Amino acid sequence: MNTIKLENVTRDYGGGKGIFDVSFHVNQGEAFGFLGPNGAGKTTTIRHLMGFLKSKSGHCTIDGLDCWKDRDKIQQRLGYITGEISFFDDMTGTDFLRFLASYRGIGAKTRQKELLERFELNPKGKIKKMSKGMKQKIAIVAAFMHDPEILILDEPTSGLDPLMQNRFIELLEEEKAQGKTILISSHMFEEVERTCHRVGIIREGKLAAVDSVEALRKRHVRPYTVTLDTQDEAESFAKDFGGVRDGLTVTVTTKQSLEEIFMHYYGGEKND
Amino acid sequence: MINRALYKREMRGSVKLLVIFAAVITLYVSIIITMYDPKMMEMLDGFAEMMPELMASVGMSAGATSLLGFMISYLYGFILLIFPMVFCILRGNGVIAKYVDNGSMVSLVAAPVKRRVIAFTQMTVVVTGILILISYATVLEIAVAESSFPNELEIAALLKLNVGLLCLHLFISGICFLASCIFSETRYSIAFGAGIPAFMYVMQMLANVGGSAEKAKYFSFFTLFDPEQIVAGESSAMVGICILFFGSIVLSVLGIVVFSKKDMHI
Repeated sequence: MNTIKLENVTRDYGGGKGIFDVSFHVNQGEAFGFLGPNGAGKTTTIRHLMGFLKSKSGHCTIDGLDCWKDRDKIQQRLGYITGEISFFDDMTGTDFLRFLASYRGIGAKTRQKELLERFELNPKGKIKKMSKGMKQKIAIVAAFMHDPEILILDEPTSGLDPLMQNRFIELLEEEKAQGKTILISSHMFEEVERTCHRVGIIREGKLAAVDSVEALRKRHVRPYTVTLDTQDEAESFAKDFGGVRDGLTVTVTTKQSLEEIFMHYYGGEKND
Repeated sequence: MINRALYKREMRGSVKLLVIFAAVITLYVSIIITMYDPKMMEMLDGFAEMMPELMASVGMSAGATSLLGFMISYLYGFILLIFPMVFCILRGNGVIAKYVDNGSMVSLVAAPVKRRVIAFTQMTVVVTGILILISYATVLEIAVAESSFPNELEIAALLKLNVGLLCLHLFISGICFLASCIFSETRYSIAFGAGIPAFMYVMQMLANVGGSAEKAKYFSFFTLFDPEQIVAGESSAMVGICILFFGSIVLSVLGIVVFSKKDMHI
């Protein structure tokens, strides 16, 4: 079942900016990575899903509900982390989280405490004076505290140190295990590599590829067969380069990282 | 229709401004009312005769004989128009456009709360602020007048006058709120939300000077609020108040609709 679905969503800002004919879907219980360089249209796409923007053509749905018309119903079960974090600066973190809980009408049944402990966050103190990382942690707590079934995360780990990035990925894995549907946008591959099964790559507003992480890897793996002079040489060559030896010939495959595969889509050269 | 958590937060955000404006109003109202004195009146009338244009432009005219007439001349031409108006401008911009501009609107729209509930709540915050300011001014006027000049003030007429004043400010807050809903950037929201009422006030000042400039009054909604006529119970003045009141409803509803339909790049 498709939980998140975009069909031919277009929004032209002029001058080549915007998103054009973007279609993809995220299945229920799936983690989907949405990748692209800065300014490729990731956030614009997400804004359509969140009901902030009305699509000029095409349409998008979450669980069959229209992302623009039924946005308040969708939000009931959705957790969101924005790419550019901006909270009410005049509040303390504690006040802000308490405000959000009562604003959403979720009362006492929140995961706030557990999440604060997990990310070692002390939310007392004015948000205005918090570091980028602390604000990001507040955003994470705010997105997860009502235990949503669907998560839309726009560059969720930016500003976090590697330790906290790890904890966040662990959290995502737990959520995934519970059958939550997750959409993560990022411009970095590591962020999605561990959690996502499929990725979509967007470039200049157009979806360049949607495929499973494995398939993307496979497509870009190149095998080389080398023939060596002696058995010994062949053996040590196979050992050093992780190849498969067959008599005097050794087959090695390049392990192109997805990072490089990306660069390929980002870079602009035609495929093959 | 209203989100209580948001209302509470925003009212807390109004407190500082309310205290400042209430203090300013306290200062002026108490000083001006206690200044009421037939001898002083002669002096002010003298000023008005010497430089009628200048005095008239700020709504002060000669010949105010009763205490209420005196208050109309010296409070309802400038102080009670401008200060609540500045409050409308600041809060009107602050409740919507500011949040859209700095991105914190995300927290409000990324929640299971309808946009029209958000907008209605924010509008209610501005209206509550205006209600508090005008009610406070009314109580203060009565208190100061009664303690300084017992039984001089026609309270019923004053109440009628202040209902008119309230409608005028509701109308102004409607303009500011609508501008706040239309524009996603604070500078435009302020430019229109403050610009339109300020321009109209200047037109009103021009019209007050009289002569051929009096035509300027047709370009100002301030004309619809005519204190002398309200106190005199003229039906044309009542029509003016009604127009302001219903106008404010139209502006607010329009603001809510615009906000519900607008694209937000946040």
